[in-house]
Amino acid sequence: MLARSCLRSTRILNTARNGATSFAKRNASTSSSAESPARLNMAAAASTAVAIGSVAWYYHLYGPTAQAMTPAEEGLHPTAYPWVHEQWLKTFDHQALRRGFQVYQEVCAACHSLSRIPYRTLVGTVLTVDEAKELAEQNEYDTEPNDEGEIEKRPGKLSDYIPAPYKNDEAARAANNGALPPDLSLIIKGRHGGCNYIFSLLTGYPEEPPAGAQVQAGLNFNPYFPGTGIAMARVLYDGLVEYEDETPASTSQMAKDVTEFLNWAAEPEMDDRKKMGMKVLAVSAVLTALSIWVKRYKWAPIKSRKTIYDPPKARKTTRL
Amino acid sequence: MGIWETFTDLVDAAAPWSTAEAEAPAEESKNEKAEESKDEDSSDDAEEEEEDDEEEIVDPKETLEEECKNSKQCSPAKHHFDECVERVTKQEEDGGAKEDCVEEFFHLAHCATQCAAPKLWATLK
Repeated sequence: MLARSCLRSTRILNTARNGATSFAKRNASTSSSAESPARLNMAAAASTAVAIGSVAWYYHLYGPTAQAMTPAEEGLHPTAYPWVHEQWLKTFDHQALRRGFQVYQEVCAACHSLSRIPYRTLVGTVLTVDEAKELAEQNEYDTEPNDEGEIEKRPGKLSDYIPAPYKNDEAARAANNGALPPDLSLIIKGRHGGCNYIFSLLTGYPEEPPAGAQVQAGLNFNPYFPGTGIAMARVLYDGLVEYEDETPASTSQMAKDVTEFLNWAAEPEMDDRKKMGMKVLAVSAVLTALSIWVKRYKWAPIKSRKTIYDPPKARKTTRL
Repeated sequence: MGIWETFTDLVDAAAPWSTAEAEAPAEESKNEKAEESKDEDSSDDAEEEEEDDEEEIVDPKETLEEECKNSKQCSPAKHHFDECVERVTKQEEDGGAKEDCVEEFFHLAHCATQCAAPKLWATLK
């Protein structure tokens, strides 16, 4: 069908090209319907060439997708790891949280703050009350002004927040070659890829950058960081931390634990939320079933009733 | 744990008024102190053993990914990456590389991590 219509259109084109001089001749030829096969073949070839050319031109214009960024600028997307705590019916592994907090304290806390986490939230999830109190007392905090208006120092309490390693952002930048180590309280929620990104970033430093890659002075190559140049050097090395439960502290083990801990820091309500979700699902399932049953119970007589109109029988004798 | 505890635990877990409390490490510290005082003589040996342990730790991620890179699954990516490295190092020797191997590295790393991910999670705690 398409080929036939193409042929017809080229025939019209050809006739138009021939012009008015052959008007009479064309009239005669079309009426006799005897076109030579050579002309037909040429028309088919020309129309095919036009069709292919237009497709090629269209593809040249709109075909190739324009990328705003190169893959290196985009950064390597992290692989999805089978995190246990991300499953619907699983909680955080609190032993892992404890290990992760140890990694945070011994490694990350040198540069990164955890400013939204007070010691009290660690109680019962990561540490015991006594351990948390002892930890809080190791730091000093400002008191309320006393009678002379002086602000004194007091040891920390459970209600205090974990202190930041630097006084402010400017001090942090000055100490880190101009790069600001981000606060880690909400880092899992704050980065595209979440746990997978943080784990991949921590463990993804290659021994040397791939051939030809440009790494600026003071930066390190990490494929997962957008732009691949990250100011943070690799910090986790095998056996850096000694776990109290004697888990072998390989790089990936430490990265996994600290990532899970940071996920807890970002979503401390997750365990409760999942528990509440199960309750909601269980109760609403029962209530839905009950409401369906009640509806059917109430509607059964209405739906199954039958209305019959029994017309009065016509009497033979008409009443006057 | 008897069968009755199973039921009470279930009820506790479902009851809205239940609370979870962390257990304090009971009396371990005393025992440890006692042991430490006993083992003071042999502390040097213990330190040596610990150092040996630290050397033994091998990151399972690296070994698994190395296996994956050499597996059949990732052979196309590895082939491209190796070829690119060869080409670029040659260019650098001739003076100034015109390209880099970041994209090839990405494809290889993506393949290797994806292949190693489930095996890695099986080995990690």
